[in-house]
Amino acid sequence: MAERHNPMLSLRGLTRRFGGLTAVDAIDLDLAKGELISIIGPNGAGKTTLFNLVTGLDRPDAGTVSFEGQDITGLSPERLAAEGIARTFQLGRVFGNLSVMDNVLIGAHTRLRAVRPAVPVIGPLLELGLALLRPARVKDEEERLREEVKAILARFGERLLPRIDQPAYSLSYANRRRVEIARALALRPRLLLLDEPTAGMNPTETAEMQALVAELKAEGLTILLIEHKLEMVMRLSDRVIVMDEGKKIAEGPGEQVRTDPKVIEAYLGHGLSGVTEQESAA
Amino acid sequence: MSSWLDYTINGLIVGNVYALVAVGLALIFGVSRLINFAQGSIYLVGAYIGWVAVVQLHTPLPLTIIVVAAAAAAVGLIIERFGLRPLQNSVRIAPLLATIGISFVLDQLVMLTFSPNPRALPSQLPDVRFQLGGGTIGPLDLLIAGVGITSALLLFVFLRYSKLGWAVRAASQDRDAAMQMGVDVNRVNQAVFGIAAALGGVSGMLVGMYYNQIDTAMSLQATLKGVVAEVVGGAGNVPGAVIGSLLLGLVESYGVAVFGTSYRNLFAFLLLVVVLVLRPNGLFVSARQAPPEPLTGTFIAPSRPVRIPRWALAVAAAGFAVLPFFPVSFYVLQTLINAWLLGMLALSLTLVAGTIGQVSLGHAALLAIGAYTSALLSLTSAVPVGLAIIGGGLMSAALGTLLISPSFRLRGHYVSIATLAIGEIVSLVILNWESVTRGPIGISGIPPLSLFGYDLISPSSVYWFSLAVMLVLALLQGRLLTSHLGRSFRAIRDDDIAARAYGLSLNRYKSLAFIFGGFAAGVSGGIAAHLYSYINHETFNTQQSILALTVVILGGLGNVVGAIVGSVALVGLPEVFRIAAEYRILIYGIVLLLLVRFRPQGLLGTI
Amino acid sequence: MSNIDRRTLVRGSLATMVAGAAFSRAALAQSSEPILLGVSGPLTGPNAQYGAQWKQGFDLALDEIHAAGGINGRKLAYQFEDSQSDPRQSVAIAQKFVSDPRIVLELGDFSSPASMAASPIYQRGGLVQFGFTNSHPDFTKGGDFMWSTSVSQADEQPLLASYAVRRLGLKKLAVLHLNTDWGRTSRDHFVKAAKEYGAEVAVTEGYIAEERDFRSTLVRVRDANPDGLILISYYSDGALIARQARQVGLKQTICAASSVYSPKFLELGGEAVEDVHLGTRYFPQDPRPEVKKFIAGFKAKYNGQEPDAFNAYSYDAVHMAAAVVKIGGTDRRAIRDAFAKVKDVSSVIFGQATFDVESRRVKGAMNAELVVRKGQFALWDGKPT
Repeated sequence: MAERHNPMLSLRGLTRRFGGLTAVDAIDLDLAKGELISIIGPNGAGKTTLFNLVTGLDRPDAGTVSFEGQDITGLSPERLAAEGIARTFQLGRVFGNLSVMDNVLIGAHTRLRAVRPAVPVIGPLLELGLALLRPARVKDEEERLREEVKAILARFGERLLPRIDQPAYSLSYANRRRVEIARALALRPRLLLLDEPTAGMNPTETAEMQALVAELKAEGLTILLIEHKLEMVMRLSDRVIVMDEGKKIAEGPGEQVRTDPKVIEAYLGHGLSGVTEQESAA
Repeated sequence: MSSWLDYTINGLIVGNVYALVAVGLALIFGVSRLINFAQGSIYLVGAYIGWVAVVQLHTPLPLTIIVVAAAAAAVGLIIERFGLRPLQNSVRIAPLLATIGISFVLDQLVMLTFSPNPRALPSQLPDVRFQLGGGTIGPLDLLIAGVGITSALLLFVFLRYSKLGWAVRAASQDRDAAMQMGVDVNRVNQAVFGIAAALGGVSGMLVGMYYNQIDTAMSLQATLKGVVAEVVGGAGNVPGAVIGSLLLGLVESYGVAVFGTSYRNLFAFLLLVVVLVLRPNGLFVSARQAPPEPLTGTFIAPSRPVRIPRWALAVAAAGFAVLPFFPVSFYVLQTLINAWLLGMLALSLTLVAGTIGQVSLGHAALLAIGAYTSALLSLTSAVPVGLAIIGGGLMSAALGTLLISPSFRLRGHYVSIATLAIGEIVSLVILNWESVTRGPIGISGIPPLSLFGYDLISPSSVYWFSLAVMLVLALLQGRLLTSHLGRSFRAIRDDDIAARAYGLSLNRYKSLAFIFGGFAAGVSGGIAAHLYSYINHETFNTQQSILALTVVILGGLGNVVGAIVGSVALVGLPEVFRIAAEYRILIYGIVLLLLVRFRPQGLLGTI
Repeated sequence: MSNIDRRTLVRGSLATMVAGAAFSRAALAQSSEPILLGVSGPLTGPNAQYGAQWKQGFDLALDEIHAAGGINGRKLAYQFEDSQSDPRQSVAIAQKFVSDPRIVLELGDFSSPASMAASPIYQRGGLVQFGFTNSHPDFTKGGDFMWSTSVSQADEQPLLASYAVRRLGLKKLAVLHLNTDWGRTSRDHFVKAAKEYGAEVAVTEGYIAEERDFRSTLVRVRDANPDGLILISYYSDGALIARQARQVGLKQTICAASSVYSPKFLELGGEAVEDVHLGTRYFPQDPRPEVKKFIAGFKAKYNGQEPDAFNAYSYDAVHMAAAVVKIGGTDRRAIRDAFAKVKDVSSVIFGQATFDVESRRVKGAMNAELVVRKGQFALWDGKPT
């Protein structure tokens, strides 16, 4: 398993408050290369806020985030995407009016080189000029990426390929989640954050998704996963972290966490979602 | 020193006048998340109903107020029921446009009923004056302040403590959740519109009495100042609207004190831009709150654009190109020249409003920058006209992008408000920067269009020139849309948070969109300057901006062909409606309303 | 519309749209058809009120012309196209008029941006643009087809300055002016003349047309400590300023430009405009026959309504157009030449109007020094107020 002393992602005392409420409270976390950690916890536990802090969409009030030894606390999401951090969103944020192809191509945006020359100051103007003129290099790059997108979409079988030119708003809910994951993969991420990838999916679709995540893990991708479906969490995770009211209340291998009295109390105390329902389903 | 007291008092007095409109706007925004551009029109209607009551029916003041409040409330209910409720499940931009259309219709109805001549609306209060500072105040000052503050307080208490008020607040925070909890959202909306309209009507009447003057031009001004005050106070925040209004009044008054009268509105709009940039949620709400839910797919209608085959477009372009060889009148050619010039502006706006989602209400400013640059280059530096026009385009691209850049971090309605303000600021700077722009005298004797030393004077040559320029710009824009920039722009429009998470820098891509669009608009302004030979600060006004936006919506947001089709339609329709003389703007408003109602994605659809 | 059936016009203009300039001029020049003037002006939009006032003046003048037998037996009519005072629309209207052979002469537009944008089209098309309210000093420089009876501010403002400084004895002035091309030009001429007459201009304040609130401006005025306020305003803003000046306790003499001359000024200003002085081109009790005829005719036609300055401009303009057409006939070029030939046309504004061929404007506007007394305009009796 993973080398704990040199983690890929490392959170120290990460804290975010909204008014009087502390959404994320002094969270520490180490994620090694190739590891898959799941974060579970009742609704409102602060899981998505934690993702926002890691991906730069929100800034912590205290604490640090480091990625491959670099302090990335408070960097913009654009910078972090360029560093190779990709994520999906809990509510499914595809670009509704863009086709499936374009949605996934956006994922590859940070990898555009020919059309985005790394020239200071006039770089953006060159980008505009190159987009209009489209010399061969630019065309080739675009063509390569389009082929790659098709390959990524092929991982979802026949779910997305036939709909490649359809606007995303016309897709089913499950397909939108798939587009999100395809988009994240197009970034060729070093770290992938998945926020409830199976929310709203039926058991067949969930199984497909689970197989895909397992495949990604097998390919060596480092993954942080928020998930309610415990069976999937147990099967995929190297470690599980349980959050409640912003705090980390348990951490460890799945089975150990599952029987932790604090965890059971947290779920029962809130009286909803998570453990019981999912288990009875499983 | 005593003068400062007077400036302060005067600022507060006029601030109270603004508050009357701002409170109504805040109430509506609080519930519907809608900036009601028709609020000024209800204010206008109230003023004229007041005139009928006072001058023709001789009602006493309390009865006048009741009559005006009731009639205005009725107008508000009609607007809500027939103008806005059908758009409830439509895209968010639809109700905004609908209120603009409603304001056209109401203003025109008042003008047709009462004639455009200003009328005196005598005050029904005793004419006693109290000394205050170096000036005096009268009972109307007190009544206006009283109505503003009392209504804000009453509304505040009502929202906090009554059952309906609770429903209103619930609906404003989460409409769907409120509905699930049994709140009748329609009833809430009705109540809010009724109250806001009653208040708006009474305000119009009181302000009319205050100045002893009512006329149909008061509507737009009231809306503009009310919107500024409301946004400064924090959109949707009723007590904030009053404080924002007072602040606006003070800033204007001190601006006059320090710099002179002609700078007054400059300060009003600068205040707005500063507040929007520094505290986008208004002065009284902390800027650092949890980001609101995304507007994914809610501001722009999802649609499948109508695909027009390339050969059809080529045939149409060729058809227009050979038109001057047929015996068409110069009038038709000139009308089409206007359409091509508007088309360039619409291309620009459809890119920034449609493709990247920055709905600009101040786009005429880009025309003005291009026009002044081109005119001055050719007049004072003897630059050939062709080059001067390109210079105008470049200046418009650079300066326009620079001016708009502080608002890149804003979203939705706030972008519209900020661009509206920036447009006004540009116009006021042109008015006041006399050493360069010659102020209100304007620039005359601008040389006619010419290319490589040949003057383009005949209508046909101007027609071909403007058509060619527009087609080139359209082709370039079409090419842009199929590049990686096209999808990047549209991704930012659809969901700027997800776009950022995938490495798209909002500043960079919004700048590129404004640079490209600013160029097209600047070229349009430059050509217009040489065509008209005379321009001043009024040549490119807010009406132009609103017209351009209408074109863009009509054609379909982001749709290049749609922008051109829309331009031909909206230049052509008012010309066709010339038969209707005074009624033509009314008809235009009604067409706009029907369009928003039945085809919010535009004729050719959003791209 | 005036005396011509709208439907005829519509059909006519549709015909021209289709057939365009190729249409034979002779075919239309039958003597049964009225001679047609084109009017480009605001009927909707923010300046709509002025278009409405124009119509009143036009219609009265046409009644008089027809009562006197028309023009060599033919009637005169106008076709009013709404421009909203928008340059984009005025240029389209200009092409429409230029290519409509029935139009012999164009009147308008109202605002300088709208008029001057259309000037190149009229100039090239060889149709006279008679901008009877266009005081912009550059308007008639647009070409030899641009003519105007608008009183040049270079003429009017010295008269006002003379009234204020020499006759009323004001020594230290505050000038408030509409910040438009007209207001700005007027201010410059006024200030120059007032200084020549020995007065000091303590402060000048330009305001935009939509402004309603002048209290803070008036504090600036008060702090400059003038002994007179000069209003270069239209009637509605002039009335607002006068009211607010009195409300904030300014008791100085107010002297206003002739553009406030309107019964609306009295109605909107109420008691506050009492004792306001103004120079005008005519006044109600004016003994001049042309003025008596104008006022009596206007009141008779419009239910006792008093005419104002804009009514007078448009009334004069149609009479001038008639005089020009009488000499020049229906040929556009001949009409342009006729502007240089007409002599001593009876005019409310000028008494006798004759164009200065160089400037293509009329010099020597009439001047009357009025004061508001008991809610009425009255000739000033020379007594200080």
